[in-house]
Amino acid sequence: MKQIIKNKKQIVKVAFIAFLVTIVGCEDNTLPAAGSIADLTPPEALFAFSQGIGSDDEWKTYSFANLSTGATDYSWDFGNGIMSTDFEPFTTFPGEGSFTVSLTSSDKLGVESTYSEVIEVLEPIAAVVPNPVLVNAEFVKLPKSSGSDCACSGWINKSLGDQGESSSGNGSDVVKFDNNEPDHIYQEFEVTPNADYTITIITQFKDPLNGTYPAELELRVLAGSGYINGYTPTYYTNTVDFPQDGYGYTTISQVETAANNIVLTPTNVLSNPSDDSYLTNTFRFNAGNNTSVALYIRGIGGDPTVGNFGYTSGDEEIRLDSVVIIAD
Amino acid sequence: MRQIKFLTLLVLTVLVTSCEDTFLSPDLNTGINADNYFTNDDEIATGVLNIYDGVQGVNAAKFTNNDLNHGVQVEFYVTEMRSDNTRTKSQEGEAAQFEFYNVQATNGIVLDNYRSYYNVIYRANLVLDNLGAASTGNAPKFEGEAKFLRAYAYFQLVRLFGDVPLIDKVIAPLDTQTAFTRVSSSEIYNLIVSDLETAVANLDDSGSNDQASKAAAEGLLAKVFLTLGRYGEAQSLCESIMDPSRGFVLESDFRDIFYSEDNDEVIFAVGYLAGSNDDSQNFSAEWLNAVGRTSGVNYVTLDAKASLDANGGSRAQYSYRNDITQPSQYQVVKYLPDGDTTLGIPVTSSDPTSAGNDWVVLRYADVVLMHVEAILAGAQETTSTNAIASFQLIRDRAGLTTPVTSITKEDLLEERRVELAFENQRFFDLVRMGVAQDVLSAFSNANGLGFSASDLLLPIPQAEIGLSNGVLTQNPGY
Repeated sequence: MKQIIKNKKQIVKVAFIAFLVTIVGCEDNTLPAAGSIADLTPPEALFAFSQGIGSDDEWKTYSFANLSTGATDYSWDFGNGIMSTDFEPFTTFPGEGSFTVSLTSSDKLGVESTYSEVIEVLEPIAAVVPNPVLVNAEFVKLPKSSGSDCACSGWINKSLGDQGESSSGNGSDVVKFDNNEPDHIYQEFEVTPNADYTITIITQFKDPLNGTYPAELELRVLAGSGYINGYTPTYYTNTVDFPQDGYGYTTISQVETAANNIVLTPTNVLSNPSDDSYLTNTFRFNAGNNTSVALYIRGIGGDPTVGNFGYTSGDEEIRLDSVVIIAD
Repeated sequence: MRQIKFLTLLVLTVLVTSCEDTFLSPDLNTGINADNYFTNDDEIATGVLNIYDGVQGVNAAKFTNNDLNHGVQVEFYVTEMRSDNTRTKSQEGEAAQFEFYNVQATNGIVLDNYRSYYNVIYRANLVLDNLGAASTGNAPKFEGEAKFLRAYAYFQLVRLFGDVPLIDKVIAPLDTQTAFTRVSSSEIYNLIVSDLETAVANLDDSGSNDQASKAAAEGLLAKVFLTLGRYGEAQSLCESIMDPSRGFVLESDFRDIFYSEDNDEVIFAVGYLAGSNDDSQNFSAEWLNAVGRTSGVNYVTLDAKASLDANGGSRAQYSYRNDITQPSQYQVVKYLPDGDTTLGIPVTSSDPTSAGNDWVVLRYADVVLMHVEAILAGAQETTSTNAIASFQLIRDRAGLTTPVTSITKEDLLEERRVELAFENQRFFDLVRMGVAQDVLSAFSNANGLGFSASDLLLPIPQAEIGLSNGVLTQNPGY
C-alpha cells in the first residue's frame, strides 16, 4: 500500500513533470530559438498601375508595377473576377467602371500585407477643341457701356484706334471702316493652346478710286503672351459690359511687335478686290502657346500722318458684315 | 595643498588653451587650402572649371584606379544599356546586369555614377559657397554656371535613383544626416527648377558650346518641365531657343553634328581633347570591338536596328554599322574615334582610347522634338499645325519629306528614338512619356530578360548604404 501510495506520489510527480515539460514545450514553440532575430523586413504590399495606350481597346488593359518590399509571394485580385500570382501581371477590364484591385504580399514566414486601390477605368476621349466665343460677331447695333448704340459694340479699344461706325448692308447691320480714318475693331477671346482655327469674314470694298492711298483691310491675331504685364482678360457676354479701353494691348507699337503677332495664312491683308459685292474671306491660324488672343482688324493704306494713331484707312470705305472663328 | 591648487590651475589653463581653435587647426599661411583658396575671380573661375572637370570624368583607359570618378563617360551604362537600344557584346559581367535587368546594389558602375554626380554637386557647392570672393560683375555668371551643372547632376540622379539626399552647400564630413537622408523627388525638382531659372537669368549664349549657356539652361529646364507635366512652360522655353535670332539650326548633314564640332546644332556638350590623358574620354573606344578595356559595350540591339531601318531615313547609316570583325553584331556610329572611310567619317583621335569626341548633352533637334512633346501635352495624339511644323523639320532633314498630318505619342517616341539614338535619351524618354513599363516589359519578354517595374530605378549603391550607418534606404526590388 505504502509502495502504491509512494508509486502514486511518484506518478503524480511524473505527471507533474510531464505536465511541466508539456508547458515548456508549448512555450518553446512561440519563443525565438537562441540566436534567431526578429523579422526586420516584414512584407509591405504596394503597387502602381498604368493604363494601356493605343488606338483600339488598349485602354481596357492595365499593367501593374509591383512595389512591395520584404515579400516573396504575391496574390492579385483585380476585382474583375481574375486573380494572378505573377509578380507583375496585366489585366483587362470588361469596360468602364470602378474596380478594387488588391495585392497581398507575403513572405515565407507566412506574414502577409495587403494593399488595395480602386481603379476608375475610363475610356480616354479625344479632347474636342471648342469654337471660340465672340460677342456681337454679326455687328448688330447694340448698347455700349457709354454712348449710343453701335454695330461696333463689344469691339472697341480706344488705345488702338477710333471705333468702327454703324451702317447697314448685305441685309443687316454692318461695321464700317471709314475712308481716311483710323477705324478698328478689337476683341479678346479664349482659345485652346496650339489649336488650329479658321477665321471667316464677309467684307465689302467700295470700288477703287485709283488715288494715292488705296484702302486695305488688315487682320491681326494678337498673342495673349503679349498682353501688358499683369493683365488678365475678362470675357464679357453682353456688349454693355465691355469697357472701351484698358485691354491687354495698349499701344500700336505693342500691336506691331512681330513676336506678338500670330501668323495668319494665306495673308493678313486684304486688298481691294475691285468688286463691291459682299465677299467671303478665310484665314487660318494656330493659337500657339496662348490661352487667350485678341482679334484686331483695321483699315490701312491711308496717309499715316492723319489722325492720332499713326495709321488711317485708305481712300475707299470698307464694310464688315460678320466674323466667324471655328476650331479646325 | 598649495602645490595641488597650483597644479590644478596649470591643468585648467592648459585645457583652456587647447580648446582654442587655432591650437588644433592653425591657419596655414604658407600653403593653399580649401578654406583660404578662393579670393578673386581667377580663382573662382578655376573652381567653375573644376565642376566641368567633374562632369567630364577621368579616362578609365588612362587612369585605371577603379575608385576614380568617370562622370558622363559611364552614363551610357545606366541609361542606354537599360533601354531597348543597346547591350554588351559579350552579355556577361557587371556591365551586362543592366541589359538583363538584374542590377545588383553592389554594381560598381552604379556606384561610379552616383559618386560622380555627387562629386559634381560638391564641386558646384564649393563655388557657390565662395561666390562672395567674386567681383559683382562676374559673380552672376559663376553662379549661373555652377547652378546649371548642379541642376544637371541632380536631374540625372533623381531620374536614375528616385528620392536622393539633397545637398545644396558644402557639408562637414560628419554631417551624415544631410549626406544620407533621402528627400522626396519633388523637393529635388524644386532645387533643379530654381537652379536652372537662375542659370537662364544669369547666362548668355556668348561662350562655346561646351560651356553652360542661357540656351543650355532653357533646354534642360524645358526637359525638366516636360518630366513634371508643366507643358506650357516647356513650350515657352523651347520657343525661346527656336527664335531665329538665337542662331540655332539643324545641321543639314546629320553626320556633322558629331564630326564637325562646335556647330550650331549642339547647344551643350561635354568637351574632350584627343590625345590628352587628363581631358580625353574612353567611351568611344569601349563601344568598339575590344579596343578599350572591355570587349565591347553599348552594342546596338536588333530592336534598335529595326527601328532605325524602318524610320531612321538617312540617319540610320550614321547611327549604327555592322561590326566588320564580328558581322552578326552592330556598333554605334556616333562618336567613332578612329573614323570610317566608307561613311566619310574622319579619324578624330590617333589613339582611340584617348578620344576627343565631345559628348552631346543637348542639341537643337532635341529641343524641336521637345516642342512637339510640349504641344502633345500628355495626350495620345495631336493634329496641331504648330506641332507638325516642328516634327516635319526633323523628318525633312532625314529625307522623310512625306507630309505628316497627325502625331501620336508612339510616333513622337519613335522619332526621338531614331533621331537621338545612343545619346542616352531613350530610357528617360520612355519613363517621361509613361510607357517605360509597357515597352520594356514587352522587350524583356521577347528577349528573355528579367525586367520588372522596380528596374526603372537603380539600386542605391550598397557601399553608400554601408557608409550611412543605416540612414540611407534602398529602393524597392533590390
